[in-house]
Amino acid sequence: MIALAVFRVAAYVRSHRVFQALLLTLAMLAIVHGSRAPRGEEAAVLTDGAVLLVPILAWAARSLLDTEPDRQREMSAVQVGGRGREVAAGLLAAFASCAVFAGLGLVWALLLGITGSPSPDVLGAGVALHVVSALTGTALGALTSRAVLPSPAVSIMVLLLGYLVMLLLSASSLYWLTVPLISWMKAANAGELAARLPQLAAISLAWCLAGLAAYALLRRRRT
Amino acid sequence: MRLSKVSFRYRRRDPLVIEDADTHLAPGDVIELTGANGAGKSTLLRLLVGLAEPTTGTITDRPRVVGFAPDRFPTGQPFTVTAYLRHASRVRGGARWEPWAERLTMGHLLGTPLGDLSKGSAHKVGLVQALMAEPGLLIMDEPFAGLDADTREALPAIATEVAGRGGIVVVSDHQGGLRGLPGLRHWSMVDGHLKEGTAAPVVSSPETDTTGAETTVAVTLPAGDLPRFLARMREEGYRAREIEETG
Repeated sequence: MIALAVFRVAAYVRSHRVFQALLLTLAMLAIVHGSRAPRGEEAAVLTDGAVLLVPILAWAARSLLDTEPDRQREMSAVQVGGRGREVAAGLLAAFASCAVFAGLGLVWALLLGITGSPSPDVLGAGVALHVVSALTGTALGALTSRAVLPSPAVSIMVLLLGYLVMLLLSASSLYWLTVPLISWMKAANAGELAARLPQLAAISLAWCLAGLAAYALLRRRRT
Repeated sequence: MRLSKVSFRYRRRDPLVIEDADTHLAPGDVIELTGANGAGKSTLLRLLVGLAEPTTGTITDRPRVVGFAPDRFPTGQPFTVTAYLRHASRVRGGARWEPWAERLTMGHLLGTPLGDLSKGSAHKVGLVQALMAEPGLLIMDEPFAGLDADTREALPAIATEVAGRGGIVVVSDHQGGLRGLPGLRHWSMVDGHLKEGTAAPVVSSPETDTTGAETTVAVTLPAGDLPRFLARMREEGYRAREIEETG
């Protein structure tokens, strides 16, 4: 399964599709962190970065999963010993790519986005939110990949609408019905990020896992 | 490996593509699958490989290692032949692909990007990735299409070899490439029904018959078998038609 995940990442890099997400990430980071935030804003800067990365990470995951031709995906499933392993290898490859981009965003924010050094609590929360951001991007990207949504136009619209719905819903009192991105930002601005992190991370992880499970189920049904 | 009352449809309310397929495949079997376009051959192969689940019925005791060579190898991938086969080998747990590449005379293709391969050369890559892991079940979809003469001649021996070490080989083939292989089983798909018969004898195809002489034979058979018989004869290039119905 690891070998198949490596194969898919290699195809993603060698096809140069990786540059689409990389350029978007670099452009977004250059704009967001164009000037350093004042001391005391560390939590807000790290959280905003994690939230803004989600659609780019979803794009990266979708792009990685779509690099492989459909027929090759079938051959890979046979080679690796079943659809389940092929799906898992694809998700692993997508998450690894998202994690690299999220790591780039985190390092950029720490080096060029903030003035002081974040407290250990804030740093830990920032790392956790970037991991959840990578997971959210993986789930959203997988659910809009070609194996689930064959039409590129529908797929990209669903990806963007999915992100917008996440933002709108998480700004309301029904924030627990989605990955609560705006709630992350509100908690960071109120200085409560570390305290509220367990609750917000649990809701976020639950929805990410639900999204990944839905992807696995949809892939199983599409023969 | 056993198929028990296997039926398959792509979507609910769609007509059945495969209906009540019931058969047993024993280690060492080499099976030639024929049928008209759209008769359900590729769907049956996907079911055998495990890429599709039967709508009803079961497929049991599928060998653990399966090799699948599709009819069209997907060349739209950013790898050379060597890079692709190395990755496939790692996915297969380090299977050796080099001997197979040599046997299928692919030495001169190894540095070629997949996208630059001709249809026949790409087909060889598909065959090598299917063969490298010593599969217990080898499925080849139209393996003779586009291949050069040397590789066409090598394939029956390869099928015999896989069967000789206890593998099951199923080959969808319109070109009769395996005819003459001892013990060859013959399956035909007719309107979604899997029929089994004895292997057809070695025949010279009408295109290659240089004598120019023609003869007409009469065959008497049950009326219910007529559509299948006519389809099979036409598929092999003969002009077949019904003359009369008796009794």
